[in-house]
Amino acid sequence: MNRVTPETNGVATSSVTRGRRLHPWPVRIMHWVNAVVMLIMITSGWGIYDDDVVIRGFHFSSFWRLGDWAAWSLNWHFAGMWFLVINGLIYLVYGFVSGRFREKLLPIRPTDVVQTVIDTLHFKIAHEDITVYNAVQKLLYIVVILAGVSQVITGIAIWKPVQFSGLVSLLGGFQNARVLHFAGMAVIVGFLIVHLALALLVPKTLWAMIAGGPRLKPGGRAKEGHVA
Amino acid sequence: MVRRDLSAMGSLRQMLVCGMIAISGVAHAQSATPGGMPPPPGMSLAESAAMRFPQPVRVGDLIGREVLRPVESQDVLGRVRRVVRSQNGQIKVVVEFGGFLGVGARPIAVPVDAMVLLGQDMEIVAFTPQQLRQFPTFSPTSTTDVANDAIVKVGLAKPSH
Amino acid sequence: MRSPFRPDMLPDARVLDDHRPLIRSLERRGLIRSGLSLGALVMLTGCDVRRPEAVESALLAISRLNDDVQALLFDPNKLAPTYPASMILRPPKFNAYYDVTDVKPVIAATWRLELAGLIADKRAWTLADLQALPQTSIVIKHICVEGWSYIGGWTGVPLRVFLERVGADLRAKYVAFKTADNYPSSIDMASALHPQTLLALQYGGETLADPFGYPLRLRTAVKLGYKNPKWVTAIEVTNKYPGGYWEALGFPWFAGI
Repeated sequence: MNRVTPETNGVATSSVTRGRRLHPWPVRIMHWVNAVVMLIMITSGWGIYDDDVVIRGFHFSSFWRLGDWAAWSLNWHFAGMWFLVINGLIYLVYGFVSGRFREKLLPIRPTDVVQTVIDTLHFKIAHEDITVYNAVQKLLYIVVILAGVSQVITGIAIWKPVQFSGLVSLLGGFQNARVLHFAGMAVIVGFLIVHLALALLVPKTLWAMIAGGPRLKPGGRAKEGHVA
Repeated sequence: MVRRDLSAMGSLRQMLVCGMIAISGVAHAQSATPGGMPPPPGMSLAESAAMRFPQPVRVGDLIGREVLRPVESQDVLGRVRRVVRSQNGQIKVVVEFGGFLGVGARPIAVPVDAMVLLGQDMEIVAFTPQQLRQFPTFSPTSTTDVANDAIVKVGLAKPSH
Repeated sequence: MRSPFRPDMLPDARVLDDHRPLIRSLERRGLIRSGLSLGALVMLTGCDVRRPEAVESALLAISRLNDDVQALLFDPNKLAPTYPASMILRPPKFNAYYDVTDVKPVIAATWRLELAGLIADKRAWTLADLQALPQTSIVIKHICVEGWSYIGGWTGVPLRVFLERVGADLRAKYVAFKTADNYPSSIDMASALHPQTLLALQYGGETLADPFGYPLRLRTAVKLGYKNPKWVTAIEVTNKYPGGYWEALGFPWFAGI
């Protein structure tokens, strides 16, 4: 590949305007905070679930539950929720205001999604340039963000079904809100399994979320010549 | 691993371990008496049912109820199909038992004294699923149906978990 | 399944001596379950035994913060949804900290509702006294902290009416209850004064049955089930935090829905 010299790409480069990294430090911090908090919410949620199972015949064994018994699963859940919501809100605001969501998650063309799925099934997991998300990645990230928001909404309905009785009605009733809360968890756990598997298959993505990843040209793509 | 260490322990350690096992026996789950326990050995079904503060319930309100195992995972054993009275006057609940997604289930007649009401469901407390599998398939020849508007008395239990 | 966090070797037994008070407090707080206690203690003493207490304290501090947040979110004018009487579950679902076989029925003839604390007229009430007061009926959803729910119907004296009648100080913070089954409970005054908080004498139009709190239980539409004590024997109005049975075991106190 041709190395593009700083003078020829039209951008004045100095140490200050070298270009931001794929994952700026706020993103990295919020990502890892979220990782810990989401694990707390999921495993404490499994402890609460066991107190009255949503799917009869299915429960989580004590190894998977956070909280020795129901009271402490609840306490973990009601503590973690603050960190989840505050961190999540900051992340959403940052994502919209900084343009990161628009840049990294859009557009998604259905044909791209189909093509990426086909490629993945043929084990063509190309990741030379990890600064550009493929269509399936974009879709999954949008889905998990929406699932997180949904969990907060259904969680609030379960927490305060009288104070927010209107919301509960919209969700189809109290027991239905519980089912939706469980379903949202299942979506997030499903995402986590795929997310972790792919991060481990392409370890430079994991390193990127720790150290920041490759620097981007203005316009959001990796600098040419950079083999990430 | 624990057994081997126990034999190697001094008397202090043995006391502590015995103490912990004793504590664990007293602090069973978080409940003084856990929900849905079977009748104590030697007690008849009728006696054990009588200890559960049997409450009147309309037979029609029992039809279709899910029948659960008294465990945390709330395994579904079946559904109530009908309520019958045997020739000696015993009330039995006919449960569509076992099978998977409606295939392979068969009706069995469970004495009402072996069951409890649990909110909108019922539980079988006096028989394990293994024992229930030995029950003969229900045949209506020697029983009469109890009318939907009739009231029967069924014992209660707290949720199991 | 054997947890990977479980140490392979039992620790020195003298470590357990140092932490006996913690072990006792854990046991008292119901944190030790049968069958798991040996494993849990091995796990605890294999790791830093002091850490669980620090973590617990932090979680309880956040739980108390949540109580304040819930008090702010509580709208005293917001009514819980009500339902047609045809939807009342008969009989209702039983729950207690023990199974139904341990229910000790109350003898109404000798039962009295005792009063204490910031109340002007502390004379005890008989069942007949209470039945003579004007009654209200509500058909509401009972929601348990465990997650199950059912629709039930209760009839009784609005707690607000009763508290006004006995000259209670309505500016006090707490209304506390004592029961025949040693299940202390308490609620905030705002919830006590809510129109859908009753001193319930009936369920489904009939006298409360023994397992469901005869002769008197608290029934409030704005709290989780465990804040609705059965077999009430005494009411106290106080500014001193009274706590409750499940709260002493780590459950949240406000528990508003």
